[in-house]
Amino acid sequence: MTREQDPTVGQTETLVVEAREAQRHRKVGQLERVGDHLKREWQLYVMLIPTILWLLVFLYKPMYGLQIAFKDYSIFRGVAGSPWIGLEHFQTLFGNDQFIRALKNTIIISFYGLIFGFPMPIILALMFNEILVQTFKKTAQTIVYLPHFVSSVIIAGIVITAFSPSAGIVNTFLGWFGMESIYFLTKPEWFRPIFVGTGIWQEAGFQSIVYLAAIAGVSPTLYESAVVDGASRWQMMWKITVPSILPTIIIMLIIRIGNMLEVSFEMIILLYQPATYSTADVVNTFIYRQGIQGGQYDLAAAAGLFNAVVAFVLVMTANTISKRYSRTSLW
Amino acid sequence: MNIEYRNREDTMRKLSLSLAILGTTALTAPAFADDTHMIVDEPLELTIHMHWPRAQGYGVGGDVGKIYPVEEAAREMTGISLIDQTSGRNTKDNYEAMNLLLAQGNLPDIVGGNRIQQPVNQYGPEGAFVPLNDLVKEHAPNIQKFWDEHPGLVEAISAYDGNYYYIPYLPDGKYGRAWYIRQDWLDKLGLEQPDNVDELHEVLVAFRDQDPNGNGRKDEVPYFAREWEEVLRLMTLWDARTSGSDTYHDFYVTPDGKIAHPYAQPAYRDAMANLAQWYSEGLIDAEIFTRGSSSRDYLLGENLGGMTHDWFASTSGYNAALSEKIDGFNFVPYLPPKSASGVRMEEHRRIPIKPDGWAISYTNKHPVETIKYFDFFFSPEGSNLANFGVEGKTWDMVDGEPIYKEEVLTSDSPVNSQMYLEGAQIYRGYPQDYRYEWQWTSPAAREGIELYDTEDLLVEQFLGVAFNKQEQEVYDKYWPSIQTYMLERQQAWILGSGDVEADWDAYIATLNKMGFEKVIEVMNTAYERQYG
Repeated sequence: MTREQDPTVGQTETLVVEAREAQRHRKVGQLERVGDHLKREWQLYVMLIPTILWLLVFLYKPMYGLQIAFKDYSIFRGVAGSPWIGLEHFQTLFGNDQFIRALKNTIIISFYGLIFGFPMPIILALMFNEILVQTFKKTAQTIVYLPHFVSSVIIAGIVITAFSPSAGIVNTFLGWFGMESIYFLTKPEWFRPIFVGTGIWQEAGFQSIVYLAAIAGVSPTLYESAVVDGASRWQMMWKITVPSILPTIIIMLIIRIGNMLEVSFEMIILLYQPATYSTADVVNTFIYRQGIQGGQYDLAAAAGLFNAVVAFVLVMTANTISKRYSRTSLW
Repeated sequence: MNIEYRNREDTMRKLSLSLAILGTTALTAPAFADDTHMIVDEPLELTIHMHWPRAQGYGVGGDVGKIYPVEEAAREMTGISLIDQTSGRNTKDNYEAMNLLLAQGNLPDIVGGNRIQQPVNQYGPEGAFVPLNDLVKEHAPNIQKFWDEHPGLVEAISAYDGNYYYIPYLPDGKYGRAWYIRQDWLDKLGLEQPDNVDELHEVLVAFRDQDPNGNGRKDEVPYFAREWEEVLRLMTLWDARTSGSDTYHDFYVTPDGKIAHPYAQPAYRDAMANLAQWYSEGLIDAEIFTRGSSSRDYLLGENLGGMTHDWFASTSGYNAALSEKIDGFNFVPYLPPKSASGVRMEEHRRIPIKPDGWAISYTNKHPVETIKYFDFFFSPEGSNLANFGVEGKTWDMVDGEPIYKEEVLTSDSPVNSQMYLEGAQIYRGYPQDYRYEWQWTSPAAREGIELYDTEDLLVEQFLGVAFNKQEQEVYDKYWPSIQTYMLERQQAWILGSGDVEADWDAYIATLNKMGFEKVIEVMNTAYERQYG
């Protein structure tokens, strides 16, 4: 396996070293230093502006509206004009068995998604990396990326058809073994496997791109010396590729944990039935039925805020643990 | 036909006479040269929010650059022009668009469209919309006449403070859905149309077992439905109710004038046991919960489906569509089978009043002119305009009846789609005229409707209640969870993963624990206040 050295890699490193050196030698006032820095690196800051604007407009400004979680909100009176009611919405939520159930389902479904869904793109990326025939590799990659670009509605249609008791491929298959057909989508015990499996099928390919990029960044010299030492492909994968992309894996894991409660609920809405609510109803679908359909935005905001707080705690915890044990962290 | 129509026809006859004198050569320009409908001396412009499923904006197909022909005619006749100011043009969700509009605060003069009743009745009393009671009494004789001739409608659209804030779209015609069966299958198996629930059971069993489609496989689906909720209507065959309105799972009015919920009645328990039995016997589409909206196309097209409960208008079209593909295909409406206690009942009907229409917002500086403009569409000429489009362009007055031109009826595009582009039949507040739909109803559907008219099948409709703030809070707090629980149990019972007879006491106890009685109480308080 040969790789061409990327000439810019070395250059950047030299530049960074030079910059640090220069910084260390300069002992001037704080303000002057910042100004100097801005002047030198202004292009970078200009490039940062759109992202900052995006954050401000779409993430920070809406936080103003979060206060409706503590208010008796009326659209017409507006956020500021609605009276405060304290924690009433939270009491309503936690006094509702269906919310508790939805919370439980969210955690279970996310946990399944994490255990079974997180390793898949890594495995896929490692496997792609081992394919030597380029055309086959490209074709295989395209095929696994495809489901990502298909709308959830169509995916749900495919799933419903595949699991149909009369014409579905799954039940046809079961029929060959003399098993009775199962109406999967009305069975609570089948909902989670089907949902998590669909999620993996839809997204694993696309998510593997990140890891493929990380693998591409591994220095070829490591592999070359391993070949000289007589290492097998398997050994190279375990001893070189995996440890090299471990920081990427950990960052992705932390992000994933932060998004854990964000179950893709549009897919659930498309697939669930009252018959499967007991395992399928998650916080977001609960909010959708209770809040958005019923126009209770304040209650929905309270549930959303709760979701965000839990996600925040999860990310903080994951980050701290990772920092302590692997020295890789988001911040 | 009731009195109102006879009056309307009289006026039309006179009108058509005057039109004949004025000449009917003008094609696009309205032929009304007199200014009996002129509302203002100087032309007046009013802004409008008009968001409905077919168009997000007040203009042809939602393109506000194209003025509706009906709007042009109305401008000429009334002197008032409506200028589009629709919010949420990029969403098809009417609630979302309405919420966007309200959140902006800068309301246009007129707020109209689909499903405006709930927001209008909620924010009207808070001051967002103008109460119409006095305005209509003083300035809108045609609307007032309509209210007088149709008692109960004003109550139904009123908010909790006793005022009403919008002029609704008032559908005409009685029947919506009907029972349809494969007559050719019945003939083939030598069976009669089922006249009661037991005969229906026999027929469905025969459909299941005797291979009426003749392909040698036991693949027939005796009963199917596009919406799984339709399967519940079978329960009316055992004297249970499933809904009180054209919305599924709705409350209903009991014979003694109280509001109750169908899913908490003993009749429901017994009917459910029977329904579950039918499901387990394979008489009901096993995949009814997931087959979805294309099931009718699929099951009829593949010669698999035997019977359904669906709309007259759309279901009667299959005979023509499938006559070449399936030899002898004949899917006909038949009278609802008699229930276990011998009652024939068609629970579904068209609701006389819709949550759609238009309202006057608090920012409107010309409420009197606006209500007169609303009133115009309740006058015979305005109603014809709103129903049929511009006279001379899409229809002509023939013997006092508005009759569509031949090219409208024979066009490839359905008449309603053509009307939407004219600006007729859109969701302004107006009384729909059934003569509009009758003209393009297929002969098969007309026969079905006439058949249903031979008996008294319909039941009283629950037109909804307007809650005050406290009642709304109780409803919002308990009802969504209760309904979720009801539907969960319902499907579980149908699918056989629970036994309704055994579960019933626990089910009722859980409902009450979840606040069911409180909801019923506020429903009845509100109902009493509104209609009592």
